[in-house]
Parts: sequence; C-alpha cells; structure tokens
Amino acid sequence: MVMDGTAPIASLDEKTLRATLPGRLAWFAKQRADKPALRHKHLGIWEEITWAQYYERTSAVARALWERGLRSGGHAGILSDNRPEWLFADLAIQALGARSVGVYQTSPAADVQYVLSHSRSTALFCEDQEQVDKLMEIGGGLPELKHIIVFEPRGTRGYADPRLMAFDDFLAEGMKLLEREPGFMQERLAALDPSSASMIVYTSGTTGQPKGAMLCSNNVCEPTDAIAKMLNVTEKDAVLSYLPLCHVAEKIYSVNLPLATGLVVHFGESIDTVQEDLREVSPTVFLGVPRIWEKMHASLLIRMKSSSWLKRTLFFYFVNKGVELERKKRHGKSSPLDALIRAAGDVLVFRALQERLGLRRCRVPGSGAAPIAPELLEWFHGVGVPIYEGFGMTELAGGSHFNRPSMYKLGTVGPSIEGVTQRLAEDGEILLRGKCVFMGYLHNEEATRAMIDEEGWLHTGDIGEIDADGYLKITGRKKEIIITAGGKNLSPERIENALKTSAFIKEAVAIGDKRNFVSALVQIEYDTVGDWAQRQSLPYTSYPDLASKPEVIKLIEEEVERCNALLGRVEQVRKVKILPKELHQDNGELTATQKVRRKVVSERYADLIAGMYRGGAS
Amino acid sequence: MTGASPLLDVRGIELRFGGVTAINGVSLAVPKGHLQAVIGPNGAGKTSLFNCISAVYRPQVGSILFEGRELVGEKAHKVAGYGIARMFQNLGLFENLTVLENLLVGRHHLYTSSWWQDMIFGARARREEIKHRRRAEEIIDFMQLERYRKLPVGILPYGVRKRVELARALCMEPKLLLLDEPAAGLNQEETELMARYMLDIKEELGITQILIDHDLRFVMDLADSIAVLDFGKKIADGTPSEVSKNPQVIEAYLGAAAAAVAAE
Repeated sequence: MVMDGTAPIASLDEKTLRATLPGRLAWFAKQRADKPALRHKHLGIWEEITWAQYYERTSAVARALWERGLRSGGHAGILSDNRPEWLFADLAIQALGARSVGVYQTSPAADVQYVLSHSRSTALFCEDQEQVDKLMEIGGGLPELKHIIVFEPRGTRGYADPRLMAFDDFLAEGMKLLEREPGFMQERLAALDPSSASMIVYTSGTTGQPKGAMLCSNNVCEPTDAIAKMLNVTEKDAVLSYLPLCHVAEKIYSVNLPLATGLVVHFGESIDTVQEDLREVSPTVFLGVPRIWEKMHASLLIRMKSSSWLKRTLFFYFVNKGVELERKKRHGKSSPLDALIRAAGDVLVFRALQERLGLRRCRVPGSGAAPIAPELLEWFHGVGVPIYEGFGMTELAGGSHFNRPSMYKLGTVGPSIEGVTQRLAEDGEILLRGKCVFMGYLHNEEATRAMIDEEGWLHTGDIGEIDADGYLKITGRKKEIIITAGGKNLSPERIENALKTSAFIKEAVAIGDKRNFVSALVQIEYDTVGDWAQRQSLPYTSYPDLASKPEVIKLIEEEVERCNALLGRVEQVRKVKILPKELHQDNGELTATQKVRRKVVSERYADLIAGMYRGGAS
Repeated sequence: MTGASPLLDVRGIELRFGGVTAINGVSLAVPKGHLQAVIGPNGAGKTSLFNCISAVYRPQVGSILFEGRELVGEKAHKVAGYGIARMFQNLGLFENLTVLENLLVGRHHLYTSSWWQDMIFGARARREEIKHRRRAEEIIDFMQLERYRKLPVGILPYGVRKRVELARALCMEPKLLLLDEPAAGLNQEETELMARYMLDIKEELGITQILIDHDLRFVMDLADSIAVLDFGKKIADGTPSEVSKNPQVIEAYLGAAAAAVAAE
C-alpha cells in the first residue's frame, strides 16, 4: 500500500515544511521518496524503509492517534528501545501539535508512573510484555492514560486491560482512515506552530525528581542545520541508533540530523548486539557516551592480553607509539620518521582495531553527555579514532559546543555552534544564549526561572573557562564541587574519570568535602576483574564475593595508585573501598542514563566512608 | 475428551526391562494445544514414557496413537518426521557448530532437495536454503538468541544452551514437543525465562507440549493439566488445583510441599 507521497503536501512550501520536524519528514518524502531513510535488522537481514514509507507510516499513526482524541497541546508517551516505530510515534505525535514524551525503558514502574502522570499523557506506545507489565503493576495509578499501543504484543494476549492494542492493528486502522482523507496530513502540517512545545524530554535528575524540558521545533531545526554544516554531515552518512532515544543526545543523531540532511539511520537487532551491529553498519558519524568509550578501551586491552605474543607486542608498541606521536603532533613537533612509524602502525595494528570496533569508516566519532577523561581521548586519537568531545544539555535541545576535525583542542569541548553566544558569570558558571535554549520545564515555573534569567541566558550549572579562541573547557558542576578541609576546590568528576581510565574500575565516587584528604568508593568492572581473577586462578562466585577478595582489593589499590599519576597532589585518592554490590537504577543509585547519584551512594555507604576517615591518611 | 480426538493418546502401556516394570498400565490423553505436565519422583517412569512416545523404547503392552497413527513399533526417525520433537535433559547439541548451524541441522529432515542437487547448489537447493534459513531466523528471534547466532554452542553458558536446545526442537516444526526437565540446572531468572518461552510457544505457536519436571511450583503455574506418576503407575490426572488437592498425591509423594501449596 504505497501512496503518492507528494500529493497530500503539494500546496505547502519548503519554508513552512522545513520549520518543523514532521514537516521536514514530509519534505524528504517528496524529495527522496524512494531513497532509504531507515534500515533495521529483521531476522538477520537489514531491511530498508524509504522516506515515502517513513512518512506514510508516521501519517497513519498520526491519524489513528487523532481518532483517539489526541490534539494540539496533548501528551503521549513512548516506552521502548530504539526501533523505527519509535520514530513513527514520535513524529506522529508532533505532527498533531501534541508533545511526545520519551520514557526510559530501563525505568522501574514507579519512575514510569511519575513521568506519565506528571506529563498527563493520554496515550502510550509500549515496546513489549516487559514494559506492559510495568503498567499492569501501576494498575489504576494512571487515570488519564487511555490507550496503550504495543509494538510487540507477544505474551500479552491473555491480558484483559481494554487499553491495550497491537501496533500493527493501530497502523492498519490509521492507513484505512487516511485513504478516505488524503488531505489529513496537509491540514495538520499547515497548522503546526514551530514555536510551540512538541517534545518533553525528562532530565535524568542526579538530584531530585526528573524535570520535563519542553522543546519546540525552533529549538532543534536551525541549530541542527548549523551542526550538520559544521560536521559536514550529508545524505551519504550513516548512523547507528543505539543510545536511548528519550535522551536528547541520541535524538540529534537519530531524528534531528537525518531530518536536516537525509542521512540513513540504522537500528540493530537488540541492545545486546550493539558491537556486532556497529561492525556491520560501520557508521560514518557516531556518538559514544564516555561509558561506551571506556568499555571499548577496556575490552580491547583485555582481548590483547590473551592474544599471541607477536600480536600483543605489536599492539602495545604501536599503541604507545601512536599516543606519543599524537602528543608530538599536537605540539607541532612531528618528523618524517614519525609519519613512517604511524603508517606502519596503521597497516599492522590500527586498521584491524578500527574494523573490530566498527569505526573504520567513521569520520566524526564524538563523545558527549558526560565529561570524559582526557587520557582516554589521547589514547583513542593515538590509535586513529579521533574522538571529538562536545557539550550539550537537555535544556539546550542537544549540543551547543563541538570539537571538529578542523577545529580541535584536547581537553576542551570545542567552540560553540553558530547562533549560540557564551559568557561566564562571576562565579565561573557557564551562561549560554541562542535558539536552542529550551522553553522551560513542564508544570514547573519555579525551576524554569532558576535556569533561564530575564535576559534569556541559560544558567548551565557547569563551571568552566573560555579561552581566547572561544573554546570552552568544563571544570566541574557548580553544585558538586568538593571543598576540602584545607580549602581547595576540587571537581569530583575529574577525579572519578581519572579512576575510570582503569580497565578494572567501572564506577567511582570521589569523596572529600570538608575532609582532610580525598577518598573514593569504586565499583569494579565485573567482566575484566573476573577475567583477571581467572588468570590468577582465583575462584569466585559472584560480584560481592569477587569484590571482597584481598587480591582484588590489592589490585584496585594498585590501579588507583597508577591513576593518581594523572591527578594533582591534592586531588589524589588516598584511600579506596570497593562497593560490596553493583550500583543499580532500581534502588535509585543510578539515573536512567546510568549516571551515579553521588548523594544516594554516599548516604547508603556512609559507614564505609566513615571507616576510611577513621584512621587518617595512609 | 469431548468432540475431537486428542493429538496424543497413550492407552494402557506397559514397559518392562527383564523383571523390572518401568511403566505399568499408564494412559494419557493430550488434546491439541495443551501444555501437559508429567511429574513424579526419580524412577517413576517419566523419561521412560517419553522414550516410548518417541519410539526409543517399545512397550510390550498397549498402544500410542499420534493423530490417530500407531507409534508403537515405529522407527524413531519416522516418529520425528511425524512431528514429534524432543528437548533432552542432557543437551544434544553439536558443540563445535554455531547456534545457527545447530538450528539448521534441526531442520535437516525437512530438506527436500537431494544430495546431488545440494552439491550443484542450483536454484532449487538455493530456494530451500533460503526458506530454512528464514525459518531458523524466526526461531532465533522468537527465542531471543540474536547475539549468540554466530557463536559455537560449546562456549555458551548453560542457560543459553538450554534455550538453543529448545530452539532446535522448535526448528523441527513439531506438532508435539516433549520437554524433559527444561528448567533443570537453571537459576531463578533463567527458570522464569524458560517458563515464559513455554507459555509463548503455547500461545503464539499453538504447539502441544508435554513437560516432565519434579518441581511442582514450576509446573503448577504453567500446565493446563498434570499427570502424576509413581512407581510406573499414574496415580492422578487433572488440572493443577485438582491434582494438588488429591489426597493420594499428597500422601504418595508430594507430601509437605503440596500441603503447603494447597494451603496457600
């Protein structure tokens, strides 16, 4: 059932269409009708969805939502892993002038309930039985939620809840209704106001309840065009959609950039197959959060340790050499011999390594959403994966600063994008102004006023420095600065990131506020430490068991000692304790984006911390 | 049974090894689409019953009708061809083959092209290959084995191998699935997952299943009906609630565990 993608929007001009995200979809459906827009792996084979089909399915979903009373200003949620249907639902909701609300699929039922009831969502797109079960658990707790549309209804057949409906039936109904009203989408698109809220993005909230940031098409359309121009993204590019789509960072890559340039978005098989999917897609543009890069780094090192002598020797020689050469290059001291060594490293080590990571074709590997250790960046640059760090926030509709191939300084997050102005407040807080600054928090005027002042400056809450060329350097979060008993201001993130450069440390919480010295609680990386234990013929049964082994404690203390070399004297971690169990989102220790809630952790393990300070510094 | 005849009809079978009677006059009727459980202590004759159904053993007395066809006296490979697949208690997978290859082996009896056609790999063989690969992929999707597809079975954790074993049985396109202690050796989480798959097999694929287990709780939540064996005899047969209230069952073998469940 392929319809004529051009007819229903014939009378709308390019400018109107390109002002909103759903309009941009319609525009591409006209311009690139039979070209691929999305690819998803189904039954082991990559299947294509063209721009015309993308638009057609989005229109059908919009029509079926309309039938169920969703109107301009209403809210509808999406609770699912990344998949094409996520995008159909998102853009369909926006096409009606309503607001799409992404919910993290890892959230426990109580958090799901909070977001849906706070946003007063009347409809919800739900992935599968696992997610539906959360709603069954909530039961009557969401009186306003009237419709639950399930992408994969398998296993929910026996459920008697009248709100449930299979996505396929929903889509078919929309298609049928559209046949009778071919002008439906045109009317909706013509009525859209690009300055009214079309997305609610809930912040992960390392402190307190999540807040819903309201974003409109104006926040994303022009700023994304600027990003696309700056990173030189075109329709020839490919991305893999794998970070949670309710996070604003993945939205840039899976929704905003494709709708600005026409690039192809790929959806892998499942969250478990990201590594393999990456290798198959080999994206040209890629965003990793620091955790992903840390993990890639750790798994490569572990792999190499168990490979043959020749491989191992070559690997470590060229990787160390690569990092060293990169450093020389940065200081402008490269020699022809260096170039020769580099070329040899490329052939012998780096190419295979890049292919293994699935980043061989990647022009712009990026890192964002949280600060990354500069040492890790140096390492990746050394092996020919030049990660460009950027800066962004939910409240900035994504990214405001990007390093890029042509403008790059290690340790900074790069210059601001076109249309964003920056300055520092007296206390060093970074203030930003521009089109991408969000509209405010949903149902929370007070929080909005605390973020945006009368002149329109967004108070980011981050402390930083701006150099003479306009490159921004983030030094820490305003609220989370550690002030030691000696009066030194330290950034816990910097210390934690230094510890996390160890392949054996997964998470770290730095402590030291009003204390004589800095200490840390760490969570060991179960896989790599387990692998290490096996090599040492050290038997263990589970995480708590492994974490309490004297050998492991010694290993971690040595690792911390090594990482301390990356830190200044006052920042160095003098004592460390391993957390007796893994941090988890379900008990509030991690946010939905897997960031550590320092406050919760340090309260829960107060006795562990007290123990470290009882005896004084070692 | 009212209306249609049952998919599997075991009628008064007896199986003896020399002087030992393993099964003593057991009857069991399993309607199409049912999830039938067979429970009992070790040596009660559960696995022997499976061996009779899959024609590994030949009972001396009685008959076993599958879709009205007599199975007693048939060859084991013929029975597989009729649509009876079995998931073994001790895994029967090829450790050096990948998950996908193991599944394709499970479909071997469904290939219709001959060996010389396969060697030339002409249009017909290729069509066959695509058809079977597609079905295998559907099962991979169903059993959520995507990430293991290309890994050799030998390196996979036990819980995943169990899933592969079930997937292999599904690949044979069975009408009847015999599951011999599918949850044995699995942890809590894996057991719940396995139960989920069995319900999905029933609801989504409509395949009739007979399940052997000795964990009563596992069976109580899952099965449509439960037959209880003890020393080769069937001592009860009915819905989970009926069986758990049966005084003979409680006394003969279930004892305190069943009393606890019945009291809940």
